[in-house]
Amino acid sequence: MSTIARLYEALGSDAVLTAPEDLSVYAYDAYSQERLPLAVVLPRDARDVADVVRIAYECGEPIVPRGAGTGLCGGAVPVEGGIVISFARMNRVLALDARNRRARVQPGVINLELSKAAAPFGLFFGPDPSSQKISTLGGNTGTNAGGPHALSYGSMTNHVLGVEYVRTDGSLSYAALDGAGYDLTGVLVGSEGTLGVITAIDVRLLRLPRSTRVCVAAFGDVEAASAAVSAIVGAGLLPTALEIMDKLIVSAVEAHYHAGYPTDAGAVLLVEIAGYPDDAESGERTIAQIARECGALSWRAAAGAAEREALWASRKGAAGSLGRIAPNYYIQDATVPRTRLPQALQRVDEIARAHKLPVGNVFHAGDGNLHPLLIFDRRERAQVDAVASAGKAILEACIALGGTISGEHGIGYEKRETLPLVFSPDDLAAMARLRDVFDPKRLFNPEKIFPSGAVCGEVRNPAQTQSQRQTLAAGGAWL
Amino acid sequence: MALAPGLDPAAFALGGKVPLRALAPASIEELAAVVKACNEAGEAVVVFGGGTLQGIGFSPARYNIAISTARLDKVLEYEFRDLTISVECGRSVERLNATLAERGQFVPLDAPSPGLSSVGGLLASGWSGPRRATFGRPRDFVIGSTVVLADGTVAKAGGMVVKNVTGYDMSKLWCGSLGTLAVLARANFKTLPLPETTRVALAALPERTRRRAVEHVAALDVEPSVAIALHGFPEAGGRDGQEGRLFLMFEGSHTLVDRATRDLRSAIGAAGVPETTLLDGTAATSAFARLLDAYGARLGERSLTYRSCGLPGEALSRCDALAHAATRHELHAESLLDILGGDAYVRVSTKLTAEFAAAVERLDASLGTSSPTYTIFNAPEMLRDGLKMWGNEMTSPATQRDIKHRFDPKATFAPGRFAGRANCSEGKRA
Ligand SMILES: Cc1cc2nc3c(=O)[nH]c(=O)nc-3n(C[C@H](O)[C@H](O)[C@H](O)COP(=O)(O)OP(=O)(O)OC[C@H]3O[C@@H](n4cnc5c(N)ncnc54)[C@H](O)[C@@H]3O)c2cc1C
Repeated sequence: MSTIARLYEALGSDAVLTAPEDLSVYAYDAYSQERLPLAVVLPRDARDVADVVRIAYECGEPIVPRGAGTGLCGGAVPVEGGIVISFARMNRVLALDARNRRARVQPGVINLELSKAAAPFGLFFGPDPSSQKISTLGGNTGTNAGGPHALSYGSMTNHVLGVEYVRTDGSLSYAALDGAGYDLTGVLVGSEGTLGVITAIDVRLLRLPRSTRVCVAAFGDVEAASAAVSAIVGAGLLPTALEIMDKLIVSAVEAHYHAGYPTDAGAVLLVEIAGYPDDAESGERTIAQIARECGALSWRAAAGAAEREALWASRKGAAGSLGRIAPNYYIQDATVPRTRLPQALQRVDEIARAHKLPVGNVFHAGDGNLHPLLIFDRRERAQVDAVASAGKAILEACIALGGTISGEHGIGYEKRETLPLVFSPDDLAAMARLRDVFDPKRLFNPEKIFPSGAVCGEVRNPAQTQSQRQTLAAGGAWL
Repeated sequence: MALAPGLDPAAFALGGKVPLRALAPASIEELAAVVKACNEAGEAVVVFGGGTLQGIGFSPARYNIAISTARLDKVLEYEFRDLTISVECGRSVERLNATLAERGQFVPLDAPSPGLSSVGGLLASGWSGPRRATFGRPRDFVIGSTVVLADGTVAKAGGMVVKNVTGYDMSKLWCGSLGTLAVLARANFKTLPLPETTRVALAALPERTRRRAVEHVAALDVEPSVAIALHGFPEAGGRDGQEGRLFLMFEGSHTLVDRATRDLRSAIGAAGVPETTLLDGTAATSAFARLLDAYGARLGERSLTYRSCGLPGEALSRCDALAHAATRHELHAESLLDILGGDAYVRVSTKLTAEFAAAVERLDASLGTSSPTYTIFNAPEMLRDGLKMWGNEMTSPATQRDIKHRFDPKATFAPGRFAGRANCSEGKRA
């Protein structure tokens, strides 16, 4: 029996897509377009997933788990074809235990939906990627997603208490942070679908803060704003969020949302101070003082909940509002130590200039997590080449400053050839050993994370931007 | 190996086994050379930090060489303005936090005996203390690591930035691996600013008010960073006898801690708790240090500690179930219950060492598959291999074994720590 016939038999015809027009949607994620999968399956429960994985194992077909496809590094793209598992139908909050501040969710639950479900109990879910209205908790777990509040609450890995997952042979397993033995939960989070297919996630919920202040400071340029962030963190102050947007981004955002960000400033710093009301005022005063010492031109606190939400909604919608000014853009993700932010921003600016590309910056400054957006037109071959080369130069600059090549989006397909700039062959070989335990046949999301040709122990040299160039030219980074 | 001076092997005995040699390499390169040589020679190795948490898991099935990390104690990088630090793993937790305190920072590792406990040993043991519900576990503060694998390979993961998804998060695998996969040589942490003030509130906790007080504490508006219901454990401020103690700690600004104190008094007053004693400043921090020490404290050869993890709302029942089972077998039970984190530590003991083994073996046998999940630590060396050190279930045992085999194919590192005599019938030791 063919693979497809077996899938039909196991899941029923309404849960298996094979028509090219249906499949083409799954050839993309927010980074790139690649090739069509053999089939897309829409399991209803963990047992369905297990059946699919077993069939794939027996037929030697790759498996690509897919959440909402908002990933920015090609993680959910079926580069080797195979079977894409969509979690669109596994989108239930299975349990919400308010007393114990815990929830068990299926992977297809949209990030924001969990916080909405928890709100009546005075609870929320910590990690809030800017894509939280559309991205799924399965995808968030797969990438160890962060977001603006990672500064205070951490990334996914700090919130996942256990995962139910399907192993490569199709058996169902459970890993719990509190269980005896090695921390399988810790390695499954952020493994980008290469170690197992996650079918349920146990997460912790946090108590809603008793008081929240959101303030906006304007600066002359993005270097000054980031110097303020370095100074705030350097003074031992950790507010709940510290986000920066530069002028280019603010003007796009304001045209779209009218939230009241100053459009004449070179950059704005969004500061959120959430916690107990007892500390809110003094917290704001101290941070505002540092901001002024670092050259803030203005400081304004949002008047109420509506204004706070508007400021946040436009910050989180920044990438989406770029459509007005950018034919295409490419979003980079890198992290530097927080004291190096001003230098990193300066290097980004120099690199963009050298490549004659406009650049916008909208990023999680408090964590040192940069997101330069390179603006280009994909119909211009020269610009596509320039983006690929500038993107790589930015990563190299961040590494030189003591940073790394991804703070939250992942390595996926996009950055796998860059990974050897950060890790030695020995480092990568240790990671490959782990892969061998979970996926000896390399059927789980092949051609991701590890540099091409990397079989346990041998790692090819970096510096291949060829595939990246093709991807960009083919319409990647579209949004 | 000549580079690594020898120490007295007798000081590193475990489970009645005295290693042939005990070595203390002074650099990561030297450590790698020593490990490689042991692995090639087929010598089984146990890595020693301060030895404070060696009592977790089974004792090693084979044991030839002890490697002490005591000389690997340097601070490698400390960019205090980045709130990150990198240290060699033999540094004691106390010295790590002393370095950080100079800059008004800390990492909430909550080690028992922090003066002895090494950073690497603490991480490898998978330890998490009473502040994990508030701040997170030690593993949540690790942003990068360097390890020496069994074949002597030096491998790093993560880095010196606070947010990082570059490659697999291997540090998670090393944390909690009990020295069975690799030697932690270097650990990078993100740090936190020290709170403006710390206050401990101690209150009597009569048996009849216990359940209500626990619920009130769990619902306090200002959350304590530590909330423990003690029963026994006099060394931590608890009382022997029927009456328990409530140990709460608040950390934050003066304004906040003052309000927390007022709220607390009315909340637990309403629950029928009579009076509260407050400790501030160093009195508070030393009370907390005593509490942490109690987690790891044993009563000679006549006690062991059960640790049961799970939902906070069920912690009291789990704790009581273990304590009652112990009492049924003529063991004295003391407990330390983490109200917010949900951990229950039950220390069982007898007055006379001679009576202990028989009583504890009966208790162990009675804790069948229906009992709550627990692990045992700090058992007397001679008993530990016969008890269910890992409780009733280990998740994904096949995967666990496979991981061990991939990273340490010759079973050089602490063979048998995760699967001792009790699990031998399963086949290969992990
Ligand atoms: C406008 C915009 C803003 C963004 N902002 C942020 C941000 O602030 N922070 C941030 O971290 N990211 C951000 N992202 C990136 C992206 O949203 C995240 O990476 C998100 O976690 C992806 O979720 P998804 O459901 O879309 O997953 P997908 O893109 O479908 O998949 C992501 C990865 O997870 C794997 N995966 C998915 N489901 C499973 C499963 N059940 N089991 C195992 N593996 C699985 C996939 O194979 C893939 O490797 C943003 C993206 C966009 C477009």
